[in-house]
Amino acid sequence: MNRLWRVAVYEYKRNVFKKSFLLTLFSVPLIVALSVGLGFFLTSLQENDLPLGYVDQAGVFTSAIPGPRSGQAEPVEFIPFQNEDEALFSLEAKMIQAFYILPPDYFETRHIELVYRNKPGGNAVQQWYDFLQINLLADQQGEVNSRIALGTDVTVRSMDGDRTVAESGPTFGNFMPLFITMAFLAMLLMSSGYLMGAVVEEKEGRTMEIVVTSISPGQLISGKILGIVAIGLTLFMTWTLIVVSGIYAARWMGSSWFQNAAIDWSVILATIAIAVPAYILVSALMAMIGIMVTTNKEGQSVSSLFIILHMVPLYVGIVLLNNPNGPLSITLTLLPFTALTTLAIRNIFFSVPGWQVGISFVVQTLSALGAIWLASRAFRLGMLRYGQRLSWQRLFPSRQGSMERRNP
Amino acid sequence: MNPVEVSHIAKSFGDLDAVIDVSFKVKRGEIFGLLGPNGAGKTTAIRMMLDIFQPDCGTVSILGGPMSEEKKDCIGYLPEERGLYQDIPLERCLLYFASLKGVPDQKARQQLDEYLERFNLAEHKSKKIKELSKGMQQKAQIINTLLHQPELIIIDEPFTALDPLNLQLVREEMQKLRALGVTIIMSTHQMQQVEELCDRILLINEGKNVLYGNLNEIRQRFSGNAVLVRTGDKLPELAGVRDISQHNGSLKLTLAEDTTPQDVLKTLTASNIILEKFEIAVPSLNEIFIRVVEEGNSR
Repeated sequence: MNRLWRVAVYEYKRNVFKKSFLLTLFSVPLIVALSVGLGFFLTSLQENDLPLGYVDQAGVFTSAIPGPRSGQAEPVEFIPFQNEDEALFSLEAKMIQAFYILPPDYFETRHIELVYRNKPGGNAVQQWYDFLQINLLADQQGEVNSRIALGTDVTVRSMDGDRTVAESGPTFGNFMPLFITMAFLAMLLMSSGYLMGAVVEEKEGRTMEIVVTSISPGQLISGKILGIVAIGLTLFMTWTLIVVSGIYAARWMGSSWFQNAAIDWSVILATIAIAVPAYILVSALMAMIGIMVTTNKEGQSVSSLFIILHMVPLYVGIVLLNNPNGPLSITLTLLPFTALTTLAIRNIFFSVPGWQVGISFVVQTLSALGAIWLASRAFRLGMLRYGQRLSWQRLFPSRQGSMERRNP
Repeated sequence: MNPVEVSHIAKSFGDLDAVIDVSFKVKRGEIFGLLGPNGAGKTTAIRMMLDIFQPDCGTVSILGGPMSEEKKDCIGYLPEERGLYQDIPLERCLLYFASLKGVPDQKARQQLDEYLERFNLAEHKSKKIKELSKGMQQKAQIINTLLHQPELIIIDEPFTALDPLNLQLVREEMQKLRALGVTIIMSTHQMQQVEELCDRILLINEGKNVLYGNLNEIRQRFSGNAVLVRTGDKLPELAGVRDISQHNGSLKLTLAEDTTPQDVLKTLTASNIILEKFEIAVPSLNEIFIRVVEEGNSR
């Protein structure tokens, strides 16, 4: 096995078989699942499937037409009562959650009265108004009646006609690149920290001097980066597996958002093509920081800058969405650090041209290779400076300084 | 072809001239002592030999030419700063380093078992490095240096933290390797070990060669015209003896230029003096070291 791979395998095993890694691996999806679950739970608390009653003193429901079915929601039964006392009796007996009174002058005043002990469920109220609307339109022709009941149906289309978003909002597929980007950023935050920690430990533990008499600094740094990339992929694959399982579960449970995912695979491939070199770029820079500083804590404060740079497009997200093909959008798509997040934001509503993705990929790849070279150089200069920082001046010596050293 | 040939190397770090001008050759199958006071430039010279640092000027030839990735497999290095991975078991750590030297896994395991037995570490192979004593860690470092059967070994202070038994063990291992034709460069401050093990030495002071050559020849060169005598009898009047002084429980007789040790011995035996010890006073390496370094510093 190539020695570079041996370093990669060692680095991978050393981190992956730690309890802290397993905690990271499963805690993120667990936290997400708990957040989503909590959201569903809180929403369900606002729903109530008990029947609603109504006292129709205005004659709106003389020949009651059943309300339209909306989405996957359970239909709520509407029970008519002759008078308020009967309705009140049922409310006290908890046979209904609330009841509406349509007074005799309803058609003049459009006032309606709601009687309840506990606020009725949002689902029930929504269905009541659909039920009321369709009965108020009972004298219209069938098709007109149905169309009015359905309401508006706006489709938002990008100027190049490549992207369409229904009125119900972007689909799950539209958000996929953004989700992938967020997952990559989470991976960056976690796994590249491992790399920096490993480098600091290797330097301050004096192991470096032994290792570099067996392999070159370039092989060592590349092997470590590969190992960390593999750790990142393990995180990514596991999270993907969990997310896909979650999507299938949601579809099985009837979520329309997941059923009409409309995933554009070319966009996802473009996102991954940019994400991989972006990930390597930050990992290499983290390794470089690791060799330049003396403690892990010191390194973390510097490395957080790289994560902040990835967040910049989120801060100017509105500008990007208002002008997705403007100079700022294109520049941020091409630049290292900002490319991945910018691409993800633009791709929600707009199809990023292939040439921009291509150039960005080349820029990211060259930046990643440059960062690996820089990290190797830092290794060579700083690996034996135990307890000492490597200055930026030493890493980037001035041309004049180099000449002076060559010709003392 | 000598396994190591260093010619006029120099290295500066900013304003600090760590090595100014060092040259030496190491012959195949010898133990070569690289000596010098703290800060003399020994470790920097070693790091330049290993291509960890590149010399500002001068050349280094290792195993017949410049250092290459392939040659690294033929070199065993024990650095001054000890560094094995502290948080992993001893066996796993040493096998990993052996794999980086290109040793096949099966062979590495077999050799490691032999070394662990020989160095009395077999029962500790599952322990994390940080759980081992300093002496055990030192032995583990030495195993790491030897495990891939290098043809050139460079060891910096190999006897640190070793008790007399383990010190003897390491000394015997080095002698055995020399007999097998392995070349060893040893840097240490333990002059007694150098006297016992080294064939030739180089003494560096302030980044420059100050003493270089065969150890016995150097000692001869530094020996004055003197003999060491130990006896229970009172010494008679000795012609040709300029001075008598105490020296480690013996008497050091400094002779006149035209007097030989044989002349003194004849006089003593003729006087029926019972001699417990009679030897030509050759200075210890320690004395030579101190004398050369002090002379160098006073200049």
